[in-house]
Parts: sequence; C-alpha cells; structure tokens
Amino acid sequence: MDEKIKEEASKDNYRQEPKVGVYICHCGGNISDVVDVKKVAEELSKYPGVTVAREYPFMCSSNGQDLITEDIKNLGINRTVVAACSPSLHDLTFRGVLQRAGVNPYLHEHVNIREQDSWVHKLDHAGATAKAIKLAQAGVEKVRRKDPLNAIRVAAEQRVAVIGGGVSGMRAALSAAGKGLEAVILEKGPRLGGKLLDLGRLYPSGEEASAVVKKLEDLVRADKKITVHTDADIDFVGGFVGNFKINFKLPGGKSQQVKAGAIVMATGYEHYKPYKGEFGYGEAANVLTLPEFISLMKKLPAGRLEYGGREIKSLALIHCVGSRQVEGVHKPQADGKINDYCSRVCCTAAINTANQIKEKYPGVRIYDVYRDIRTYGMMHESYYEQASKNGVLFFRHTETDQPVVTSDRTGHNVKVKDVLTWGEELEFKADLVVLVTGLVPSDISLIKSQMKMPSSADRFLQEVHLKLRPVELANAGIFIAGAAQYPMDSTEAMASAGTAASKAGILLAEPDIPLEPFVAVVDEKKCTGCGLCPAECSYDGALTMSEKNGKKVAVVNPALCKGCGACVAVCEPRAIDVAGWTLAQFDAMVEAIAKE
Amino acid sequence: MSDMEKIEVDALVVGSGIAGLQSALDMADQGLSVVIVEKRPSIGGKMISLSKVFPTLDCASCITTPRMASVSHHPRITTLTYSTVDAIKRENGVFTAAVTRKPRYIDEKECISCKRCEDVCPVYLPDEYEEGMGAKKAITIPFTNAIPQLPVMDPEHCIRCGACARACPKDCIDFLQQPAPVEIKAKAVILATGYETTPMTAKKQYGMAKLPNVISPMAAERLLAPHGPYGRVLRPSDGMVPGSIAYVQCAGSRDKSIGVPYCSRVCCMYAIKQAILLSGSLPIADITIYYMDIRAFGKGYEQFYNNARAMGINFVKAKVARITEDEKHNPILRIERQEGSSAPEEVKHELVVLSQGLRPGDDVSRYGLGAELNDFGFVKLSDETVSSAVTAGAGVFAAGVSKGPRDIPDSVVDAGSAAMEAISYIRKL
Repeated sequence: MDEKIKEEASKDNYRQEPKVGVYICHCGGNISDVVDVKKVAEELSKYPGVTVAREYPFMCSSNGQDLITEDIKNLGINRTVVAACSPSLHDLTFRGVLQRAGVNPYLHEHVNIREQDSWVHKLDHAGATAKAIKLAQAGVEKVRRKDPLNAIRVAAEQRVAVIGGGVSGMRAALSAAGKGLEAVILEKGPRLGGKLLDLGRLYPSGEEASAVVKKLEDLVRADKKITVHTDADIDFVGGFVGNFKINFKLPGGKSQQVKAGAIVMATGYEHYKPYKGEFGYGEAANVLTLPEFISLMKKLPAGRLEYGGREIKSLALIHCVGSRQVEGVHKPQADGKINDYCSRVCCTAAINTANQIKEKYPGVRIYDVYRDIRTYGMMHESYYEQASKNGVLFFRHTETDQPVVTSDRTGHNVKVKDVLTWGEELEFKADLVVLVTGLVPSDISLIKSQMKMPSSADRFLQEVHLKLRPVELANAGIFIAGAAQYPMDSTEAMASAGTAASKAGILLAEPDIPLEPFVAVVDEKKCTGCGLCPAECSYDGALTMSEKNGKKVAVVNPALCKGCGACVAVCEPRAIDVAGWTLAQFDAMVEAIAKE
Repeated sequence: MSDMEKIEVDALVVGSGIAGLQSALDMADQGLSVVIVEKRPSIGGKMISLSKVFPTLDCASCITTPRMASVSHHPRITTLTYSTVDAIKRENGVFTAAVTRKPRYIDEKECISCKRCEDVCPVYLPDEYEEGMGAKKAITIPFTNAIPQLPVMDPEHCIRCGACARACPKDCIDFLQQPAPVEIKAKAVILATGYETTPMTAKKQYGMAKLPNVISPMAAERLLAPHGPYGRVLRPSDGMVPGSIAYVQCAGSRDKSIGVPYCSRVCCMYAIKQAILLSGSLPIADITIYYMDIRAFGKGYEQFYNNARAMGINFVKAKVARITEDEKHNPILRIERQEGSSAPEEVKHELVVLSQGLRPGDDVSRYGLGAELNDFGFVKLSDETVSSAVTAGAGVFAAGVSKGPRDIPDSVVDAGSAAMEAISYIRKL
C-alpha cells in the first residue's frame, strides 16, 4: 500500500511574514441580526498581525469571494480568517478562493460564529458580539501559526463496488459503467432485483415489478464493465477512499475480495414488521401487511379474493403502521425510539393496490383509514381520485385517536374516530385487515460498524448535507443510492443511484485522489517509542510502531489516519501533532480567548 | 452574420437554477465542456431569491451562491445569461442551438460593475426581484448576489436622459445595442427549465390578485429574506406588522378547475417553513395553515412539521372557498372546517399567503427537440423505471422541475443523474 501513497513535496517552503485578512460574514442576517459585525470587523482590524478586516452580507457569494481575491492581489494578504457559518459548509469554498489566487489553500482558518455563536445566543447581542471577536482573534492566532500544506495524493482503483443488487444498485452500476468505470455488484440474495422481486404492479408505470427488474437486469448483464456476484455474503469492508477492500463469501464458502476506489451503498430497506398484536397482527387471523397482501394477490386468480380458504368481501387498509409514530401513542421500537418519519411511498402504494383490488375483484368493499393522503407524485393524485370513483371509502383519524381493530371468528371490527364526519365514532366490519407498513433500513450493522458510517435519527444512512452533498456519506469515497438513505419509490431511486454514480465518477475522474493533509505527524527525535499511541488509535493500520535508524518510533499511514488526535492526547513528550491542528496553535488560540 | 458568436461544447444546459447548475458542475467535474443558457440576467434560478430552505433552515444563498461561484469560476463551463433559446436542431448527432443574447444596453466586456449608472439613474420602478415590493432603477444590477454583476437597462422605462452614460467611467452604455445571435453546437442537451408558480389569478374566488394583503409565497420569501424589500415583515397595503397570518394550501394545485390536478409537492413544506420563520420574526403573531392533507414526505420533513405544531402554528383542515376583504384590506376567508364544526364560517386575517403550485418554466416543445411533454407541459421521460433523465429525444435529458414539481433536495439529487446520462450518451457517440 505504501508505494501507492505519494506525499507531494511541499512546493512552497516559504515562510513569508503573515499578513492576515479577516472577513466577517453577515450570513444574510443569520449572523448580523445578533452579532454586531461592524464592531467585530473594527476590533479585528486593530488586532496584531491583521492587515485588513472586512464584513460582507454573503462572504460565500461570488462578490464576497472577489473581496478576498482583491485583497490578496492588492494588499498581499497571505492568510485568511473567515468568520461565518460552520466550516463543514464552506471551509472548502474559501480554500478554493485562496488556491485560485495563488495562495496555499491551507493558510485559511474558518471560524464558526453562526452555529456556535449567533444561533445559540439570539437574545444576548452584546455577548454574542464579544464572543465573535474572541473567536475571530483566536482564528487569527491560529492562522498565523499555520504552515502551507499539500493534499496527500492516493492512487485510486478505477472501480466502483456497489453493495446491493436491487434497482438502485443496478442503476448505480449502469451509470458508473456508462461513464467508463468498472462496477462490481455484490448482492446478498440469489437474484438481482432486491425488494422489487416481491412486489406486484408498480405505480406509476403500471408495469409488473418483475418486468422492471428484468429491464435493468438485462442492461446490467449486457454491460461488460459490470461484474455481478449474487449470494455474496460480505464479511469485511475496509480500506480508505481510492483503496477500499471488500471481502465476501460465495456459496460453498469460497472467499473473494473486491478492490474499489469508491463504494456505493445500495443496501435498500426492509418492510416494517408489526409487533405481535399491533392491530391484531400475528394474533388474529386475516391481518396482513401490505407487502404480504401484494404477494398474496399476485398468486390469486381473478374472480374471487380469498385468504385462508375464506372469501374476502371487505377489506380495511390502515395507513402509517410503523411510520409517523407519536411519542406516548406508539410503542417504541427495539432501540427505544419511535419511527417518527413518514415512509413516503406507502400512501400511493396502498391506493394503487386498492385500485388493483377493485379492478380484479370489483365487489370487494374497501375502507381506507389514514391520517393524511400523501399522493405527491406527478400522476399519483389521479390514483387517489380513481380510488374515490371506485368506491373506496376513506376515513381520516388524528395522530392521537388511532383506529382500533378487534377481531373474532366472524372477522374484524374497525373503529375510527373520523375527522371527515366531524369526529364521529364510526365502526365497520372487515374480513381482512391490511396494515400499510412503512419502511425501515436494512440491517447493515456489520458494514456500518466496520466503516463507522453515520446514521440519521431515523436509522437510515446519513448524508453529509441534504442539499450540498445529498448522496455522500461523511466517509470519503462512500456514496448512498436509493432507499438506504430514506424511503423512496423505484423511480426516485433511479435519480438517487445515478447521482451516487456521478459523485463516484467525479471522485475517480483523475487516477489519484487528493486527501486532506490533516493527519498525525511524528517528530521522530522526540518520540520515545513507548507504544501508547497505537493502542489509542481507532483506525486499523493508521499508526504502528516500527524500527527506524535503530530506534523504535511511531509511524503514521497518512491515507488511513483521520486526524482525530487521540494519539496526540496520550503522547507525553508531545512528539505527535496533527498537521493543521497543532498543539502550539491550540495554545495560542486558548491564550487569545482567555486574555482579558 | 459572419462574426456571429459560436460556441462548441460537449453539453448544453438550458436553465441555471439549482438543477441546471448542479448538472453542469457534475458534467464539468468529469471532464466535459458545458455551456449554460439562462434567460434571466443572473444565474441561480428561483432558489437564489428564497429566504431559508426546509428542512434544515439553511439560508438559500448559503446553498446557492457557492454553486453559482463554482460555475462561474469553472474552467470548463461557459454561461450565457439574459439569453433565450429559440430553437435546437439535431443533425448527425450534433445539436445546433440558436440562442439570442438580449441587449443589456451596456458593453458587457468593458463594464466593471461599479454601479455608478444605477446610482445616477433618476427612474424608479417596481423591483420584480422583490416581487414588485421595493424599487429598482431603470438600469440596475438585478440583485446583490447576481452573477454576472452586470447592469441591465429597461428600455421601456428609460427616459434617455443620458445620466448613466455620463457617469460610466468605461463608456459602456450603448443605447443602440441590438439582440445578438449565438450559435451553440453540443453533443447532448440537458433541459433544466424549472418552473413558474401558478398565477395568483388562477382561482377567481381568491381575489384575482386584487387584494393587496393576499400575497404570493415568493413575495413572502422576499419579506422574510434578510435583504428583503423592507428588511422586516410588513403587509403591503399599509405597512402594518401583521398580527394574524394565514396560508391557503393547494391554492394552485390539486384543483381540476384551474387545470392543475397534480400535487405540487413543495407547497406544504414551504408554507410550514415560512410559518416557522414568521413565528421567529413576529413572535406574537397567530399563524394558521388551512390545508387538505399535509404532505411532509421527505427526509426530516415529518419532524419539521411536528416542530411547527409544537411552536404553536395552527393547522386547520379546511378548504378555503372564497377570499374577500374588509374596508381596512384585512382578508376574509370563507372556510368550511373538516374538524370541529361543519358550518361554513368567515375568518379574518391581516395577511394571507396563497400557496401557489408549480407549472412548467418553459414550453420546451418549441425548441423542436423531439422531447415529449406530459398533459401538463412537463418533460416526459421515455421510461422512468429505468432512468430518471432519458427523454424521447435522442441526446436530450431532463433535470429537476422540468419533469414535474420537486423540492430542492430532490432536484439536486436529480441533477447528478441527468449529468451521468449525458456523459454516458456522449461516450457512446
């Protein structure tokens, strides 16, 4: 692996006299409504080492960026502090400004005076202003002590590993292959197609799910750039951006490995499984989930809707089972949390199914019990209308007045406090109760824990930012496709998967990938070889002890090191520092903040 | 005609809203050369004029401007603003687009964006960027974050006084400038033509845009924006701070009577977002949302809706039948509740926002591309079960709201896949 990592020699060893430019962003009122930005700029302009301090409504806009460029050109600014939003949003934006202006991009410090100041001190304008001044001054102290850094460049495998062979996984592989990358699909089941294999006629095309799967599968099988492994049991995912390794077993126990520059997580979803007794599920006969009912209907001939040998003449659809749960009303899940999210696809799926029942078995009475009908898609509203025309009866309840299902041998009794009749307690009989269950993420705990992938509160994979980086995980080089991120229908999954492939394509556009240089650096002269630091390191292979010049020292693999600083904390002789985040810089920042 | 401007690129993107910008960036970051054609004077689309965006409440500028800047600095992206696509022909696998640069009446190459022309112009006009609230000059850079920072003159209202020409240090003002044709050759086209809101006059029962305190959601966005026309939320008729504000949902959607039977997908969420922002800036105001179904179906949206309810925003399931006003221009809503009592009643508010829906931003059939449209004028995909961007026209792809209403997160995600389809198509040529 070591030969793959080339640390670019520092091109600019200059230690020019630091000339710091400080830029205070109003964030269009987000900051300036609370913080007196003019005062901050004024105070900072008097601070030692600061050449210029300015404030501007949107530093991240083109005009704002141009201010910095102009100062670099005209005033010789060679280090910048931008006091604005969280660095996770725009640190990269401003590093880009420095780079374009010919200054080493790592001579920038992004100070957060929004999330960590104006947003949390809304009622204390003077205090927030004082805090902004202190934080910006600390930023100045830090940036003055920064050294120019260069990105670590890692040779990247020109291959994308797609975990999951459902429609999202297939689309991601096709798009990656379309751009010329190799793609490998690892599917745990025996067939491609994922959850769609169990579904019937899909909205909005009205096609059988199996036909949709076949179209994608045919394209996948015909593409020479795509390799498919079904029945692939993944037991290890490791490595880092550009150089991931996935080990998996095939039937018969044969182990294989895929090396990939990027990973697409197309791990999909599971249907929510109602607990025993939830609306009679698992206790009373004739209570099914919607996917169970769809499987049943696929097998039944037209004419007579039958379950358990009995004709079904009436049927109740109960929405939001396992979705939009409410604290205190619903039983928490195994992890103690409720599913408070909307599962997005179930309203349309339920109404689509109701219409198909009416088409195939016109005599069946259908009662639809819901909270809000969310048929949001382009043609979905017409299904809702069709269902009404088909005679489906709709009952609407509130979140706290849940419907109650009681069952005996003659069938089910459904009680609803119906909002549509101004709160009337209504009651009807149904031969079959179909629970419109929501979606929950697939169990990918092994991969998630091995790669330390973040989850959202809803347990689905967590993107970096819903609008800025919507299909990227915080783990560099790992992307999300489809319902692994959040419930979505198969057409929406096409968009998500195509974009995941696009981001992988951007990442692998060059043969090597630049990595952040914020990694641990060992001062071998100071290192005593005590071996405490590798024990603290959470990233396999990032920090090891080895012999150098007859001396045992800690050695960092910069591609694996995440720069967390755990090693720094245990190093008594202060022999380790994280580049760009040195102890000397922290000392100076603390001094600046603590100074009266 | 011999000196007509000609541009040859891999891909042409029509529209520079968030979907157009993102698809251009995704293609250019993978090595393609791209030209973006935008009809408005600045790139950024609708999103750049929004205040904050759901469900994260980031300021819209914070999300849009960096992408605008990336596009304008990208070595492989060219942008043509204030330019219209007149026709696109495809011959032997190459598209030729006839584009017209509209005259700004300034020399774009010489202008240094000093705004002196704007400062001295004596003509004040309603500012369309501020939805008619606030004023602009007859020659103006459209808004603070506009890219490019070039002024546009309004020839209809200019009084030819010459003040701008005298003030301009670069002698840029050109009263005689003519529209200029541009020819673009490209291998693929991405349609990212976005949307317009359904008109305020769509439903005649809702005041036909004549009630001053019944405003559009875009106007509400500007009132809430940090650099909005008044710097605070005031109602248009008399500048009063409204104490009671109502949202009328589905005012341009789910309504066959106005030809928009589909759900516009974004209105529930933008109304909830504006309500949350309003209760931040007007803590004592009563805010009511009259709705049919609340459609909070995206990631984090249901929780956002729950937060709004916890903040005390009233959600009333009721259809608004009619809007009139009293002598003080307070809007009066005639409603029928579906919860509580059934009798129709009249409720007075001080400001009302009509939650307009979305309709196509352009009739792309006029380009002559072979891309088919659905019944409502949005671009139809050839098979949406297999691809989210491929249209019936060879080499023509669609991104974002051009295919139907979707919100910002969905549009951003959508754009990358359109870029990928274009890349894949070009590789196979």
